[in-house]
Amino acid sequence: MTATWAILEKDLRLLWRQRTGWVSAGAFAAMTVITFSFAFDLATADVRPLLPGVLWVTFLFAGVIASSHSFSEEQEQGTFDALLLAPAPRSALYAGKALANLVGLLAIEAFVLVLGSVLFNVPLLVPRLLLVTVVGTVGYVGLATLLSTLGAVRSRAVLLPVLTLPLLVPLLIAAVRATGEALSGAPDGAPWLLLLAVFSFWSAVGAALLFPLVVEQ
Amino acid sequence: MEGQLEYLFAGFAVFWAGLLVYLVWLQARLRALQAEVRRLEERLAEEVPVAEATAATRSASAARVAPEGGA
Amino acid sequence: MSWLVGQASRIYAFRWVTLPPLVGVGMFALIAASLVVAPRESVEGEVQRVFYIHFPSALTAYGALFVVFVSSIALLWTKDMRWDAIARAAAGVGVLFTAFTLGTGAIWGRPTWGVYWTWDARLTSTLILLLLYGGYLLARNLADPTDEQAARYGAVFAIFAFADIPVINMSVRWWRTLHPQPMVVGSDGPAMPLEMVAVMMIGLVGVGLLATWLIVLRSETELLGVRTQALRARLDRRMGV
Repeated sequence: MTATWAILEKDLRLLWRQRTGWVSAGAFAAMTVITFSFAFDLATADVRPLLPGVLWVTFLFAGVIASSHSFSEEQEQGTFDALLLAPAPRSALYAGKALANLVGLLAIEAFVLVLGSVLFNVPLLVPRLLLVTVVGTVGYVGLATLLSTLGAVRSRAVLLPVLTLPLLVPLLIAAVRATGEALSGAPDGAPWLLLLAVFSFWSAVGAALLFPLVVEQ
Repeated sequence: MEGQLEYLFAGFAVFWAGLLVYLVWLQARLRALQAEVRRLEERLAEEVPVAEATAATRSASAARVAPEGGA
Repeated sequence: MSWLVGQASRIYAFRWVTLPPLVGVGMFALIAASLVVAPRESVEGEVQRVFYIHFPSALTAYGALFVVFVSSIALLWTKDMRWDAIARAAAGVGVLFTAFTLGTGAIWGRPTWGVYWTWDARLTSTLILLLLYGGYLLARNLADPTDEQAARYGAVFAIFAFADIPVINMSVRWWRTLHPQPMVVGSDGPAMPLEMVAVMMIGLVGVGLLATWLIVLRSETELLGVRTQALRARLDRRMGV
């Protein structure tokens, strides 16, 4: 158990040390939101129907950029091989990294929500929307962290989103619809938040179970 | 209704043409791989005397390669 | 169990004698049955005959993707890289037949619905299937076929992808049918006449045999590729690199 805590602590410390990467991802997210507002001319029309899509596309792209190098630095420096030899459960390696990615991505999302509230003049920091964001991000980070173990293959940076995004179609649909519900206050007719929660739960559990098989030497 | 036969033809054509292209591609790949395996095996057979000579003087790693010969 | 494996390998030994003629007969039967034997559909007309290729292709694609799923589990279980070759082969065939499904469907859709493509639930989930396994193939082809870690990564991805299929189908159905939109692909409609069912069965058997043959052929090609890599590595070692 102490080993697990040590790994969690290590990953959170790494998160802080690699903050420049996360700041870049945050800047990318801000730029995406601003680009969308130019592309759709959001300032003039009623933005509510478009906002869920804008938010989640931003979250997904920022997340896939930020989490894609989860393990690469440790793998390059040989720390990862040492960690595999350590007397800690392999799932803990995954959990630590997933937790760090979750914290980092939630920070970016909070920033985007604040930015969106200002730019689109819609209060986005409402409890229901925050709940949808957290639940969706858990599932998203769960899968993205597992998939980021992809080794150093050619065109890795493009390949990762190509692999990740189709798997996340249910999450994207459910998150966009649940966000729409939270923004408009009108029920959408399907239990989107429930689908989102179930999907997130199973992705996280499945990824934690399968992670040891992927990293095995 | 008249134009329907064209769509029927197109639908079948997509399937058969796609299948033909796939089979031709697979056949070409199989041929290329078979040729390469043959070429590599010939080269390995040629290299054996040299390798054996060096294996005697070199470490066990070269000797470990030799028993794989039949694979 | 070992008796079963013995029987299976005995059957497998005859693959080049039995499979090609069977596939040939199956394909001939498919053409003859779908173009000649099957009755003319009264509403859609002749173009409905595309169905006898379209529907078996779709089911066969799912079958091939199931083979990917099973061999991925077997790879993780046994660590035998031959399962990876089978998984890659089946994924390639699965993608091919998914593409056939979409292609024949689009051509059939044009005269019957007036459009090649619509964001209907079933069409959308088939497209996502194509992207999912296209990505898998891309990832496996970019990596070295003898790289065991890359193979395990692919296997885990394939397991996730297969488990994702029902969730994708469900979410896409909720997503689409909640929009006010004319239903283009209804439920299977009125029961088919018996002759049509018979022709459909011939199509299923024929296309299924074809896919089996393709998977076997492709697996052996992939295994040959692995062998080439191994030979190359041995040659390099001999040369003293």
